[in-house]
Amino acid sequence: MSIAKTLAIRGATLLGVLFAVLVMVAVTLGATGFSDRMLTAIVGEEVRGLRQGLAQTIRDSDELERVLQERRQQLEESYGLNREWYLRLPQMIGRVIRLDMGEARTLQSGEGSRRVTDLIRERLPRTLLLVTTATVITAIIGLLLGVKLATRVGSKTDRLVSLLAATSNALPAWWAGILLILLFAFEVRIFPSGGLYSVPPPEGGFDRLQDLLWHATLPVITLVVVSAGSWTYVVRTMVMNVAQEDFVTVARAKGLPEGVVTRRHILRVAAPPILTSLILGLASSVGGAILTETVFNWPGMGRLYYDAILSVDEAVVVALTFMFTLVYVAARLILEVLYIMVDPRVRYL
Amino acid sequence: MRGGLRDALKELLSSATGRVGVIFLIIMVGVSLYAVAANPLDFGSRLWNNPAVWADNPENVPPAWISLFGGSNRVKHSVLETSTPREVRQTPAGQESAYAFDLDYPFDEAPSFTSFSIEDVTYSSRPTTITLSVTRPDGKSLTLLRHVVPAPRPGETYPVVRYRDSPFRVYLTGDTSVAAEVSRFLQEEFFVGVQPHDLAGRVDQAIFGIPDAQAVGGFQVLKGRYRISVLARSQDPLDSIGKVRFVLGGSRYGLMGTDSTGRDLARGLLFGFPVALTIGLVTAILATAIGTATGIVSGYTGGKTDIAIQRLSDILSNIPLLPILLFLAFVLGQKLWIVMAVLIIFGWPGLTIVVRSMVLQIRSGQLVEASVALGASPRRIMARHIIPQIAPFVFAQMIFFVPAAILAEAGLSFLGLGDPSIPTWGQILDQGFRTDAVYAGYWWWILPPGILIVATALTFALIALGMERVVDPRLRMARQ
Repeated sequence: MSIAKTLAIRGATLLGVLFAVLVMVAVTLGATGFSDRMLTAIVGEEVRGLRQGLAQTIRDSDELERVLQERRQQLEESYGLNREWYLRLPQMIGRVIRLDMGEARTLQSGEGSRRVTDLIRERLPRTLLLVTTATVITAIIGLLLGVKLATRVGSKTDRLVSLLAATSNALPAWWAGILLILLFAFEVRIFPSGGLYSVPPPEGGFDRLQDLLWHATLPVITLVVVSAGSWTYVVRTMVMNVAQEDFVTVARAKGLPEGVVTRRHILRVAAPPILTSLILGLASSVGGAILTETVFNWPGMGRLYYDAILSVDEAVVVALTFMFTLVYVAARLILEVLYIMVDPRVRYL
Repeated sequence: MRGGLRDALKELLSSATGRVGVIFLIIMVGVSLYAVAANPLDFGSRLWNNPAVWADNPENVPPAWISLFGGSNRVKHSVLETSTPREVRQTPAGQESAYAFDLDYPFDEAPSFTSFSIEDVTYSSRPTTITLSVTRPDGKSLTLLRHVVPAPRPGETYPVVRYRDSPFRVYLTGDTSVAAEVSRFLQEEFFVGVQPHDLAGRVDQAIFGIPDAQAVGGFQVLKGRYRISVLARSQDPLDSIGKVRFVLGGSRYGLMGTDSTGRDLARGLLFGFPVALTIGLVTAILATAIGTATGIVSGYTGGKTDIAIQRLSDILSNIPLLPILLFLAFVLGQKLWIVMAVLIIFGWPGLTIVVRSMVLQIRSGQLVEASVALGASPRRIMARHIIPQIAPFVFAQMIFFVPAAILAEAGLSFLGLGDPSIPTWGQILDQGFRTDAVYAGYWWWILPPGILIVATALTFALIALGMERVVDPRLRMARQ
């Protein structure tokens, strides 16, 4: 199987994921009457805007009403409001893909725009900053610790770390975040309790960056704390499984130094499954970001999701559900490519 | 199949983590059974979310046991209640029933509030008149309240029953007529002029204190024995009052304190036990059952069925769960069963993929080959050779799934999408977070629900950890 074919199959699966989510979102919205309400609101908004414009030129009120009524019908036709919901599903899916979700009801971007697209464009980089930083730190901690532990399975340290891993797995990200706020923002006041920048934000690029990092510390720590434990455990188990293979014993018997055995023989073989579980772990870190951002009032996509739920802003909720899936699928694709680079077996199959 | 599971259990109990997990689980099941027995099943809608139930509780106060750690003598929350009068006198004008409570007041502060309520009043001719008064340790007494039970409505026949379904309740602390009475009392007894509206919200300081210009708030607490008297006058000897109640609002409450609406957090947390266990176990069992069944079918039958199941589970297991869960709970409504259904629908595919690969491995083994040669039916092979071999693994996966489901529900509740009719630990935390209990330092509201969530998830994680050696025999070898 060539790389291209492998990638094509993976890509097709991920496209299937995207499509399944879209169809599910569209069907749920349609069948529950949500989309009717959303579209009616959009049409109502446009007609209201039109009325203000036309009121200047058309003086006769009957004439005005007639024009507006005509326009409303046109709009309803173009949005498909006059058809059953399942007949306009393709159109609906198209709108979601183009992120053409109209305007948020109350939520605004920093510059005051209420367009959902603007909102997401502003929030997405902030979420990515948080999640990628945390994932990289988690991956490094997990690799270093896990490999070390795998060589002493069953020891006291190993059992302690297993226990800590179980605890960190059982720790909800948001509650860990709250604890960190209580501890580091209110008891020992060394970190801010939330937000992106201090109020008012410091002037100058470098000071601003420093302020941003200072605010990002606690959220990143939270994300790392809740995922590092179980990840260390995964690495340890994978490495341990490989370490018990015969070829490792042979390598040791040959008198190779332990470092070489670990790097060349164990890690080389254990890398693909480790990468796989990192890929799978991404799903939970996307979810973790929603909760962590909410707790730390970090104005990324997760906090936006929370605010959209609180203010019952359908357009934003739908757009974000799609965006979260999209971000996840994109990250998966990147890791799939990495996977092929790490595992020669996939290439030469 | 039984053999495999029995070995698994033995293995589980032989590890320390497994034993601890099992003990925790037994405790949790016990607490859950007690919670279900002690509370109605519609606890959420009937009690927890009904403000009337919690009206007589102090708001945002820490647990009672905190007094053990010293500090000044804070007011203990007391509910004084009776349904039998101390004395019934027959007078020319009719009948007088006297109810009384004796109250020791050794505290260093005024109560956080006081309230008075009566329930279930019956009268047969003249409406009952009720008077509430307080006699203080210094011998002075004051009348706080006079109330005439509403007269019969046109067309209503005697005997008239009042306040049966909803009691007559007066929040004395914020009542203007009480403030006027207290103002008059201060003028007459202490020659201190305080306007009634200046007393609003703090009449308790005056009732349970003496005016003192030096003291904070203008009153010094008067310690000693108080008597709260309630006098009910009516005409007919058959007239009655169901219940008389006087509440002294404390600044400590119960085992776990209260939240911002006065709810007893201990009761909410207690009811969270069976809810969490149900969410975790039901979801885990169903998802595991579906995952195992589809995995076996997929691995054993092969062909188109196999491809179809594998594609479907590939897609489902790749969908990020929380955003979808949020979306569905948002659109379909906040129902617990919807949440559980979503967790099951997106939970089984992961197991299917693994079970299938295990089945493929076993199927190509000599054991199955020999059975086929002996003429065993596919059903017999599945029941006798395949299921027993994967049973311990599947069981361990089920245990792993429980905390995942509990944590997912808790996260959803924390985002405000919990089922409002069923209180969960996540919801209690959500309310605490939204009402800024975190920033106000109400630790008794924030810490316990989180600790319980972690403890529950950890219980199952420990059991799963104890089963590690069952699932992965290589670890057993490593130990030897």
